[in-house]
Amino acid sequence: MSRKDAGDVTRRKFLIGSGAAGAITLAGCTSTGDGNGNGNGNGNGNGNGNGNGNGNGNGDSGLSGEITIKGSSTVFPVSDAMAELFMEEHEGVNVTVDPTGSGGGFKNWFCPGDAEINGASRPIKDSETEQCSGNDVEPVEFQIAGDALTMAVNNDADWVDCMTPDELSQIWREDGATNWSEIRDEFPDQEIPLFGPAETSGTYDWFNENIVGEDYRHTARHQPTEDDETIVQGIRDNTNAMGYFGYAYYKSNSEQVKALEIDGGQGCTEPSLANAKDGSYPMARPLFIYVAKDALQREEVYEFMKFYLEKAETDIVQEIGYVPSSTDLRDENLAKLDEAAGK
Amino acid sequence: MAAETPSWAQQAGQVSRLRGRAFEAICLASTSLALVSVMVLLLFVANDAFRPFEAEPALTFAIPVLPGLELFVVPVVLPAYLLVFGATLGLPVALTALYYYRRDDPAGEVAYATLGLPIVSLLVSAGVLVMFIEVLTVSELFATELALLVAVGAIYGHARLRPRKAVERLAIIIVAPVVALAGLPPAMFNDIVNGIAGLAGVGPVLTTRLFSVRELVLASPFLPVRWVMLLATVTLPVVAIFAPILARRRESREAGLALGGLSMIVAALGLVAAPALGVGSDVWIVVASVTVPPLAVYVEGVVRRREGMAGLAFPLVLIGGALAGWLLVQQVGFGMPDPWLDWGFLTNAHSRFSAEKTGIYPPLVGSVMMLFAIVILIFPVGVGAAIYLEEYAPSQGLAGKFVTLIEINIGNLAGVPSVVYGLLGLALFIRFLSMPVGAIIVGALAVGLLILPIVIISAQEAIRAVPDSHREASYGMGATRWQTIRDVVLPQAFPGILTGTILALGRAIGETAPLLMIGMPAIVRRAPDGFFATGSAMPRQIFRWSKEFDPLYRHGVLAAGVVTLLVVLLIMNGTAIILRNKFQREETA
Repeated sequence: MSRKDAGDVTRRKFLIGSGAAGAITLAGCTSTGDGNGNGNGNGNGNGNGNGNGNGNGNGDSGLSGEITIKGSSTVFPVSDAMAELFMEEHEGVNVTVDPTGSGGGFKNWFCPGDAEINGASRPIKDSETEQCSGNDVEPVEFQIAGDALTMAVNNDADWVDCMTPDELSQIWREDGATNWSEIRDEFPDQEIPLFGPAETSGTYDWFNENIVGEDYRHTARHQPTEDDETIVQGIRDNTNAMGYFGYAYYKSNSEQVKALEIDGGQGCTEPSLANAKDGSYPMARPLFIYVAKDALQREEVYEFMKFYLEKAETDIVQEIGYVPSSTDLRDENLAKLDEAAGK
Repeated sequence: MAAETPSWAQQAGQVSRLRGRAFEAICLASTSLALVSVMVLLLFVANDAFRPFEAEPALTFAIPVLPGLELFVVPVVLPAYLLVFGATLGLPVALTALYYYRRDDPAGEVAYATLGLPIVSLLVSAGVLVMFIEVLTVSELFATELALLVAVGAIYGHARLRPRKAVERLAIIIVAPVVALAGLPPAMFNDIVNGIAGLAGVGPVLTTRLFSVRELVLASPFLPVRWVMLLATVTLPVVAIFAPILARRRESREAGLALGGLSMIVAALGLVAAPALGVGSDVWIVVASVTVPPLAVYVEGVVRRREGMAGLAFPLVLIGGALAGWLLVQQVGFGMPDPWLDWGFLTNAHSRFSAEKTGIYPPLVGSVMMLFAIVILIFPVGVGAAIYLEEYAPSQGLAGKFVTLIEINIGNLAGVPSVVYGLLGLALFIRFLSMPVGAIIVGALAVGLLILPIVIISAQEAIRAVPDSHREASYGMGATRWQTIRDVVLPQAFPGILTGTILALGRAIGETAPLLMIGMPAIVRRAPDGFFATGSAMPRQIFRWSKEFDPLYRHGVLAAGVVTLLVVLLIMNGTAIILRNKFQREETA
């Protein structure tokens, strides 16, 4: 009997305890919710950083808050490196980085007001600007680096080393060539399996606009992916395959695939940072980040952007595999930042 | 008579035997195929994660092989340290295990438990420590517990003073924790009302409120020293759970008090001993208070029963062997391998610049916090639904048909792909309810909804397994339906419910797709400091590593992450199995 009573009491205690535990969690929610209510005024009000911390180490700088970066997977390595370096100096700031593709980032996160910064490997589109302004988000553009878009084939594809943009357009346009021999007679009579980025990618948009050409549409015949690693794998495993991606991915996979030289009318040039910098490589393109103007009012976002734009001129960018911005561009960017932030 | 066998019987027997044998062989083959492939996969991953064969110096053995009649010599390279550890650790452990297996079965079980208990305790203490570092401060927990104590005291006191006022007590059960923890009205409520009033152009409406016990304690200038608060918040509750168990088993108050005192002393010893060992005294206090009491209770039980006492030697063999091997290797100067999965991996964040320095700490914390939130949110709902469906829901007529329809659809929900739950989370919690993108709570809700049907179904199974005769007996004694459920059905069904929930949580911890859909970022370098903060989870981080273009991440770091996730999963499943066995034994005993 006494045993039963004891069990009874503990069970009731357990019930009360679990109820109370629920109450603790609710209480925990409230204390985090009313942190720094700096909603960035975009109507839906879910952008208010709640990284208020609770006394455990806001570092030396005193900055705190959360910064969300979405967007291009091409720009991702740069943003990620900047985030890591910035957070080493500012303990209280949490910068999260997520590769979603340029268009995917604008459409799903940046313009709805869920991200402060969006990377893009092409300029923002008019439709995206409209979507943003519909939510009171005003994007500010910064060019932070240059890229040499790289067209790669299998290492064993010994028949081709150099192609013209027009030939690439023939392969990558809708209803274009599907066979190597359709491009040049000396090419083998083999189908070309294509691997490339998905439609949400800025790399896709840039290639579509500048190489495939305005009169044509990008083929849907290729294997689309957000993941450059998949493209490299596809080319590596298939002798006749072809695909394109940012130079940084080629740089770290240069033994696995062969990059094509591109002949833009001034002879064949290989993709390299030097050639992208001096403009001799025809598929060189700028990389951008966009920041929401309202978010710049938050000290941590402003400081991070300043850090980013300053460091974009250094060797960090080069090591990742992109062309760093020039000192002129850096100064221009910093002036633009101060203007946008109203400083 | 029996010896006379008709001629046809023999033949028929032979035919059926052949078929049966073939069927058995096929079944065996499929079982071993599944097991072997999983084993091979795990060994590959573990090899990548620990790199046990990459250490200097290494010894090469020539192993002669005789295929046909020609003699081949196959060189096998083994690092020297591995041989040392094989001698000091592997061999003794294998021999002791063999001894338990062949000679002393109960000792094997004891060995398993004495080894497993500290591991589970260490995991729990790691969780507590992480909570202190990332979510709560010690003083907050102290204030919360004190407030809870006041609330429980109020409820208990009311039950003593006015035992018959059930409705009044219900009100107190609801109100007392709210007042103690959040005040009346809670600060958040005032903030919301004042915020709305501010928007409407009116000044603050609610200016006075009753402060909660928690707030009062936090505001008081006389908070005790940190270690005293730690002893009070961590050690005391654990002691309060285990000391009464011991007291009841030994039927002596003194034994319980002794255990409590002993635990407190061991925990407090940390103030002196921990700095000497080079660990923080906080770590010591937490680890000691979570490990010592359960282990002491278990060991006491083994010693008292005098069954399988040889099993207590197993942890000593293990620890002693490891220590001896380590000392020997250090003395001789053999190289140790450099595993990917090491202490740094568990405590660092992802690093873009160095695969060696990369770690899984923020996602680990995120996963633990998600699990915690899932348990709080889903367990009561799931079990409540299961109780209703099994015990209260009508089973006949039109309403009964409707209930059957609901049950079928819960079954269907359990089969809905996880991506769909991610989409639901995105649309409902982020877009409609404006919760923060990629927050722990959103991930917990999305994954929680995913496992909710599984929890309901397993809880239903557990409740259904309680024999009807027990219910009828309870009714026969004049018990009401509520009393029957509370005192007869739930206690019996509880182990089953617990097992089902833990297994469902095992599924929850590995889910990736919903987390991708709700925008959990690829790279999070700070562990979340609250349930509404952005966080990551282990499978999300592993997915990201699979896409890094430096192969060191794709192979080494990824493997270490997978092993970490699997270890957590295996421990959870192991706990479920142990709980089930324990409760089943208690039932039959």
